[in-house]
Amino acid sequence: MLTIDKRFINLLRWDLRFQARYGFYLLYVLLTVFYTLVLFAIPGSWKEKTAAMLIFSDPAAMGLFFMGAIVLLEKSQKVTSYFAITPMKAREYVWSKVLSLSAISLVVATILATVAGYTAIFPLLVGTFLASAIFTLCGIIVATKISSLNQFILATVPIEIIGFVPAILHIFGVTGSIADRLYPANVCMDMIMGDRPFAAGLLLTVALIALLLQVACRSVLKMWQEQGGVKL
Amino acid sequence: MIQVNNLTFSYSKKPFIEGLSFEVKAGEIFGFLGPSGAGKSTVQKILLGMLPNYEGSAVVGSVECKKHGSNFYQNIGVDFEYSTMYEKLSARENLEFFSSLYRLRHRSIDELLMAVGLENDADKRVADFSKGMKSRLNFIKALVHDPKLLFLDEPTSGLDPTNSRLMKDMILEEKRRGKTILLTTHNMQDATELCDRVAFIVGGKLFALDSPHNLIMSKGAAKVTYTWIENGEQSASCDLTEMAGDKKLRNLIAENRLQSIHSSEPTLNDIFMEITGKTLV
Ligand SMILES: Nc1ncnc2c1ncn2[C@@H]1O[C@H](COP(=O)(O)OP(=O)(O)OP(=O)(O)O)[C@@H](O)[C@H]1O
Ligand SMILES: [Mg+2]
Repeated sequence: MLTIDKRFINLLRWDLRFQARYGFYLLYVLLTVFYTLVLFAIPGSWKEKTAAMLIFSDPAAMGLFFMGAIVLLEKSQKVTSYFAITPMKAREYVWSKVLSLSAISLVVATILATVAGYTAIFPLLVGTFLASAIFTLCGIIVATKISSLNQFILATVPIEIIGFVPAILHIFGVTGSIADRLYPANVCMDMIMGDRPFAAGLLLTVALIALLLQVACRSVLKMWQEQGGVKL
Repeated sequence: MIQVNNLTFSYSKKPFIEGLSFEVKAGEIFGFLGPSGAGKSTVQKILLGMLPNYEGSAVVGSVECKKHGSNFYQNIGVDFEYSTMYEKLSARENLEFFSSLYRLRHRSIDELLMAVGLENDADKRVADFSKGMKSRLNFIKALVHDPKLLFLDEPTSGLDPTNSRLMKDMILEEKRRGKTILLTTHNMQDATELCDRVAFIVGGKLFALDSPHNLIMSKGAAKVTYTWIENGEQSASCDLTEMAGDKKLRNLIAENRLQSIHSSEPTLNDIFMEITGKTLV
């Protein structure tokens, strides 16, 4: 289990500060304004589904790309090899990234949902958080194994497709089998749409996150111990 | 503080570090000397628990390096041979961030910055620092949590004479504060000046281990070299302790024909060559 001590709180505070410094928040203010304008522009009947898509796409992009950017940056500045010799645990590093990045997604989701006139905010937030966790963890795992931005973009394309396409098809009801409602990305989408997810699907999603968490921690530890830096 | 016994390690199938044994006592400055590629950084990384696939034993504090937990690092400070800093953050922010990862005893960041002459650059981004400034910052980063054990990888390389002096004084000051320090260097002069004991290492193997003074004294006595004119300039040398028995020298002195005369002690560099058959640089 995660034992929360002062170091973890410090880490989280600094992660938020780094993200502000590197312009993540500014970017998201601009994006949110743009998304809001889009939502105002489209006809009412489309609003809900468009909002769901935007909300879902956001943690997907955020977790994968921002995580890649963060890790590549740390690698290029050799901060990663320094982490290997601090008392920080890989688990703390991973959780701090998951929580700090999902915080942005949750704020954006709340704003967009309000604009689109959603009422079921709580399931929406849970769905957003789960989606954010999945994509951030995938982002971490991929980023620890690559050494250039190009490699990273290539490696994340399949993850975007696997994570994104079924969920989009799902909200438009293109497929409708039971299996469809067990798929973790779709479970998150269901919750973002304010639907009750299948219990089995939810369980599967949580299990997936637990698995990704294990893999991510191991990958991070391995990355710290490898000395190799990267060039950006 | 550190006990290494029959340590064996390699990055590949080819043997590299084989049967290395040594001990570092609490409170001493212990130097690893060797040419590039000798394995100095590798041994440091093993002691830091970063290369767990070794055989034999390497105990730091009372912990076997490959089995360490994360608290192992509470009392260790490391200055890697390259900068390990967030370039977009200021010097002060970097120090604050890294010190926040440790539990206890944070030293004053302002005092540390002052000690290495960076007090006026504290709020500049590290990206705008010169190489020497980064080296100094990297060094005090290893001190923020006031660790008992310091690993310094070539702490004076790339520094101008003034900053190199400053760095050496700070290392000696840390020793006075009771720290155990393990450093690597190519620089014999620094090693002679700083280290209580040095280990000569070449190709992953230990060739000698003693205080610089003993190493210098045990091998080669001080020599006297003199020159005179006789069909052009001639020169000869003899051991300092045998001067009285050197006929040529006595004649030259009696006839007042010496052009020059000087005595020289062997440097650690000469000793290193003599023992390992290799030069340092
Ligand atoms: N991560 C690694 N993977 C494979 N080989 C490595 C790795 N790191 C170092 N080596 C090899 O191990 C040998 C020793 O390297 P090491 O960095 O320990 O030398 P060093 O004595 O510190 O040299 P320098 O004075 O140049 O820093 C070198 O031949 C190097 O190529
Ligand atoms: Mg080295």
